[in-house]
Amino acid sequence: MASNPVMELEIWKGEWGLPSVDVHCLEVMTYAKFSGTPLKTKITNNPFKTPHGSLPVFQHENECLTKFGEISAYLRKNNHTADFELSPKQCAEAFAYSHLIYEKLVPALQFIWWIDSKNFIEFTRPLYAKLLPFPLNFYYPGQYEKHAKQLAMSLYPEEDDLSVIETAVYRQADECLCLLATKLGEKEFFFGQSPSSLDAVVFAHLAPLLKAPLPSAALQNHLKACTNLTRFVGRVLQRYFPKEIKDHEQAERKITKQESEYSDSEFPNKLRNISIAALISLVAMTAYAMSTGIIQVVPADEGEEED
Amino acid sequence: MRYGAVAVPTSDLHPISSSRVNRPAPKKAFGAESGCHENLSTSSSEMRTQIGKKAHRLPRGHPALEPWPSDVKLYQPYEVEQILLQDQANSLAVQVFLRMCGLEFQVEMRSNAEHMSPSGKLPFIKCGAFVVADLDPIVSFIANKGINLTDHLDAAQKADMRAYMSLANNILGNAELYISWCDENVLNEVTCPRYGSVYSWPLNTLLTWRKQKQVTKKLTALGWITKTLDEVYEDVDHCCNALSERLGNHLYFFNDRCTELDAVVFGHVFTLLTTPLPDNRLASIVRSYPNLVEACQFLEKAFFQKPTANTTDGDSDNFN
Repeated sequence: MASNPVMELEIWKGEWGLPSVDVHCLEVMTYAKFSGTPLKTKITNNPFKTPHGSLPVFQHENECLTKFGEISAYLRKNNHTADFELSPKQCAEAFAYSHLIYEKLVPALQFIWWIDSKNFIEFTRPLYAKLLPFPLNFYYPGQYEKHAKQLAMSLYPEEDDLSVIETAVYRQADECLCLLATKLGEKEFFFGQSPSSLDAVVFAHLAPLLKAPLPSAALQNHLKACTNLTRFVGRVLQRYFPKEIKDHEQAERKITKQESEYSDSEFPNKLRNISIAALISLVAMTAYAMSTGIIQVVPADEGEEED
Repeated sequence: MRYGAVAVPTSDLHPISSSRVNRPAPKKAFGAESGCHENLSTSSSEMRTQIGKKAHRLPRGHPALEPWPSDVKLYQPYEVEQILLQDQANSLAVQVFLRMCGLEFQVEMRSNAEHMSPSGKLPFIKCGAFVVADLDPIVSFIANKGINLTDHLDAAQKADMRAYMSLANNILGNAELYISWCDENVLNEVTCPRYGSVYSWPLNTLLTWRKQKQVTKKLTALGWITKTLDEVYEDVDHCCNALSERLGNHLYFFNDRCTELDAVVFGHVFTLLTTPLPDNRLASIVRSYPNLVEACQFLEKAFFQKPTANTTDGDSDNFN
């Protein structure tokens, strides 16, 4: 592999004002922002060409890494860390809370994205079909769905009914969100004024859940009710990803402008068409009436109407 | 036949958090306007997609609210010849938790305990008409009876406790599974003989193979299968480091009083220290954190030492 002097990250594209739609990509990107790493991102949307079969792919010098743990350890070795202000006890807490999210929230996110049939058919599959190039868009969504189902089945091996698994999984996620809200409290970030690796992990898992237009949105509504978590996500986006927010707002404005123009432009045509149609029908009816003798135009000097 | 024809599905006995039953909802539930656990789903198209938020208060006179009976039994596989790392850790955690709560129970060993369990998880307890498996549901079940160990914790400490429990279960539990079932040495020398010891040939081979497939599938789904053994040991080290930092030079994790977290950590640490494996790196990793070892020894003395040399309590001599 060619040695790459610049730190590069291949990612999934972003939507809804987020820099990426994928949780793992977001983790790495947010951590890089928090630690001040000069990271160059490349939108490839192509897990097929990656060495490990999934995105993100971090490349620097001769290193090629894909897991957040490995990447953050590598960055720490190169003196880029977001945890330099944390005491060892706080580092331990950050580690513990990350695992709380992996144990309780990740199964629910997988469920919402890939197993809930309404979401999968109306939201996830079209999204990935749009992002992936042909012909990968026929293969990968199915693979991800299969992985998600395997995760659910392996966590609840004795349950055959998906709805029971769904309730259990959502309940755990519900509890996890409450615990995170309690931990965050009214602080700006989980460990005070400056963000840490835990903030990166929490943001990466909550942001897609918050911003994605999910058809079936029970957990999303619960997250929205945890206002301090919602504010936290907004804060991180505003401070560290302002460009994505601006791009998203511009794109939204353009779409609404186009829609209103389109609806405005209908009106003149509509009116004109209606008036022309009315005129033609009037003329036709008058002509018919006159030709059949219902209406007769009597010359003025006769002074009488026949019939 | 599943034990307990009237076994209530564990989901019904599992209120959302143990504090829910013992105290009113905290007045300052951060962030959640209407309180975290109440019914918040507004898009209630189908009942089942709500996040199960009728608050799980059991009605008065519900059988689960009866006082603790005197004939409660805890079922686990045979300790000397059959039980494996993770089941041993979980069983010890439940046993020490029950003893911390001052609840009487008897340990019953069954070769088919795993198949008797309602959810497949071990250990499970039979309490009156109820069969409850795994530590979390058991903690909730006992909390329904008004007994819990976390009254002295505030909300932030409870959150910390749950986070550390997730850490211990995720890393130590999965590491135990990995080492038992994915490391060739341990698999051939320890796991297969022990798991199949209670069955005759060819059932022992078949069942061991089936269990191995099931565990491999779970570890694949969780992303552990791609780890090397060294990476697993590194994760265990990192986890023990985090637990050791939290414990500091105390004997308990929170406020010098025991909680479920102490029980969970005791279960894992004791198991890892006392189980002889072909490669004892796990034990040496754990031993390098003396405060964890000391806390484990303290709990063993406090809750398991009996005047007579009784062998039902996970004593290290029981492992061959």
